[in-house]
Amino acid sequence: MNGFDDFSRPMEYISPLDRHFRSVLRRYIEQEVMPFRRQYDEDWKDHAIIEPAFDKLMGELGLQKALFPPEHGGWGITRSDYIFRFAYMLCEELGRADTGMAVALAVTFWPLLVILVEPFVNERLIAEFAPMFCNTKKAVFAANAMTEPQGGSDIENMGLLRGRTIRTTARLEGDQWVINGHKLWPTNSGGAASLFGVPCTTRPGSDDLNDFAFIYVPAGAEGVTQGGPYEKAGMAADKNGDIFFDHVRVPAWYRAHGPGSDAEAFYQLIPFGQVASSAFLTGAMMNMYERLNEFVSSRTYRNRPLKENDAVAAIIGRIAGDIDICRILGHEAAMMGDRRNKPYGLPLTSEELVGKIRNIKDFISDRAVENFGKAMDVLGLYGPDRDWDIEKHWRDIKIIQLWMGGKQLCQMESARYFFNCETV
Amino acid sequence: MIGNLEGLFLMPEKGIDEETQGVVTLVRRWADKEVIGDRLEYRRNYPSRFDEKRKTLFLAMGLQRLAVPEEHGGFGWHTPGRMRHVLRVLTEIGRADCSTGVLLAMNCALFTVVTRFCDGRNGLTDSLASSYLEDEMKTASCILTGPGHAGRETPLFKGRSILARAAAAGESATVSGEDLRPLAAGLAADRFLIVCADSDGSPCLALVPVDAPGIARSERVKAAGLDALANADISLDAVTIPKDHLILDQDAVSYLSACLNLMLGGVSLGAGLNFFEIVSDWSDSRVIKGGTVLKENPLCASVLADTAEEIACAGFLLHDLAGIMPLTDHPGPSGMEAVYTYSAMIGAKAQQGIMRAINRGLELMGSAGYAREWHAEKHWRDVKTIQSIMCGTGAEAPVKMDIARFFYNCSEI
Repeated sequence: MNGFDDFSRPMEYISPLDRHFRSVLRRYIEQEVMPFRRQYDEDWKDHAIIEPAFDKLMGELGLQKALFPPEHGGWGITRSDYIFRFAYMLCEELGRADTGMAVALAVTFWPLLVILVEPFVNERLIAEFAPMFCNTKKAVFAANAMTEPQGGSDIENMGLLRGRTIRTTARLEGDQWVINGHKLWPTNSGGAASLFGVPCTTRPGSDDLNDFAFIYVPAGAEGVTQGGPYEKAGMAADKNGDIFFDHVRVPAWYRAHGPGSDAEAFYQLIPFGQVASSAFLTGAMMNMYERLNEFVSSRTYRNRPLKENDAVAAIIGRIAGDIDICRILGHEAAMMGDRRNKPYGLPLTSEELVGKIRNIKDFISDRAVENFGKAMDVLGLYGPDRDWDIEKHWRDIKIIQLWMGGKQLCQMESARYFFNCETV
Repeated sequence: MIGNLEGLFLMPEKGIDEETQGVVTLVRRWADKEVIGDRLEYRRNYPSRFDEKRKTLFLAMGLQRLAVPEEHGGFGWHTPGRMRHVLRVLTEIGRADCSTGVLLAMNCALFTVVTRFCDGRNGLTDSLASSYLEDEMKTASCILTGPGHAGRETPLFKGRSILARAAAAGESATVSGEDLRPLAAGLAADRFLIVCADSDGSPCLALVPVDAPGIARSERVKAAGLDALANADISLDAVTIPKDHLILDQDAVSYLSACLNLMLGGVSLGAGLNFFEIVSDWSDSRVIKGGTVLKENPLCASVLADTAEEIACAGFLLHDLAGIMPLTDHPGPSGMEAVYTYSAMIGAKAQQGIMRAINRGLELMGSAGYAREWHAEKHWRDVKTIQSIMCGTGAEAPVKMDIARFFYNCSEI
């Protein structure tokens, strides 16, 4: 094997943009992120080192424009038939360097996908928000303000709960929505985001999907209060905090689509989030392979390189084998998303597609958590050492297993589809 | 329920006398009052709080002298028969803070090994013990075997590279080695117990005070956990030590390893128990699916069961290991070699089990488990750090080789 690029992926799935764009992106990341990432943990609050890297990637290179149509200054990726595969490539490359940075970028796309992906397109809102992201060289973040204090991941469990537990309310007064509620933990909160996508209910306690509303709220709107970033085990590049909406007023047309359609468009975010999560993990694992390979080639057991000991080789062989399998599965998940427009594809809201993609993400998460732990043990004394980078990924990627409902919701969505469960 | 950890996690009580129970109770009070009950402040001002709380434990309560022989003014918990009691104390400390537990474990390991292998050389024990009676905190650290460097042959201890060299000459000895990685606290340690190879290449131990000329330390190594124990690599340029600071007995290396497996296992067990308390609180007070208490959901209950099961089993294994430590007095293969192997086997199993327990419990806590506020993530990072450093190198492979060597008489692995 020549290097980490040789981990398998179905070549017929690769998008036309992949080769060229990946090399440009990699060059940026290797210059602007990887040399500095060991300092990111201490920069979790201020982002004094992290922010310039975001400016280069999102502003100067222009990644934050990628989704918007060309007529608004964007790259038009949402109009292509390879948005999932493009996202996979982007998230994998960034994940190789820093999954916190990868998620901060990907989540900027997340609320915007609700209005940018056919069949749920809202031209007026696109025209409203595109300049914020396309007319600047500075990084601009968006956030999906979903999780609420009482419900944990209930919001992602739309298949079962259908928005019944949402307590953030939206009330229509004249030509304005009035929003009240408390959200916590969104990626790019803690003061980072300029725009929030906020899932709300127009009738608290209702499980009628017509009462689910997805409304955009500029971070500077009156009545929006953000807490400072939480201190966490890792993922320093991703700020998370509390957001309070206190009688926040936004124009009525800031609602994504309307009754029924909002829920469907929002539900599409689940496959996007799970595919991106898979890509963060395979990218991080590819970097783990790079560092692990260096260690087992240069350090010894019984005076022979670790990799030449049969027992150690069995361990690292399994790790590399898992990375290979996970990368293939991750690309398959991305391709499932991109088949949505094809006659043989499934809509992003189908239980089958959601169940299968969640299943893949759950599998890759488990393999990543286990293999990063194992790789640290291979390094032994040097496993917890930040200079070897593996411990940083180990701390960072644990949250990927936990978010979006975590492992248990993945298992339930999988069971729902494969066994026709009705109550779990 | 949370106040009843002992009622839930049953441990063999054999040999726990009133005096021991008194010490354990005292340490638990320290843990509850000084650290667990003051978590927020402890986290916000960790370096200063760590020193302050450690001082209370080590000096005011006297635990710095836990393994100092009674005749030298200590508690006398340095014999194999006392290991069960040391384990109990370290578990209580680990429940509060792994870093404090690791420091006490390394102090105890030092006295346990030195007193056992320095018969007839009371000078070493005397001088060591008297320094531990001073009103000043002492920090011992250990440098064990490690991974070698490709292209550089080193003497071996059970397949692992010995990276330091010791040579006796007259009444003194010299110790050399480059970029040696201590288990922890390399920057703060005032003495190192170092696995060396003697002039024949046989494994031995050297006790090296840091004020000896010729010692250099690297910058602080940033690590995943044990935040309070600033580590650094150590280089020794022909450092001279008194000859009685050299323990030329391979069994001493085996015994040191066995003691550390047991003691650091106890620290991680304590962290696991406190994690159990945290996740219990969480599962009692949080609801899912719009109203079901977390612990009453069958899937969540099975994850909680995994957590409790792993911690309980690790506790049993470690107490059994403590119970066989006196076998090290037996001659032949059922003695030191057996205990060394069992300690490696149980140490690895217990650390893996506790790590799995925390990983599973974190799945239920979601983002909260990841936030520093809940303290769960600190136990997760600390235990993983302890687990990895005790692996030495090569994940479980070297321990598997130890086990195969012992059970199957393998001679070339």
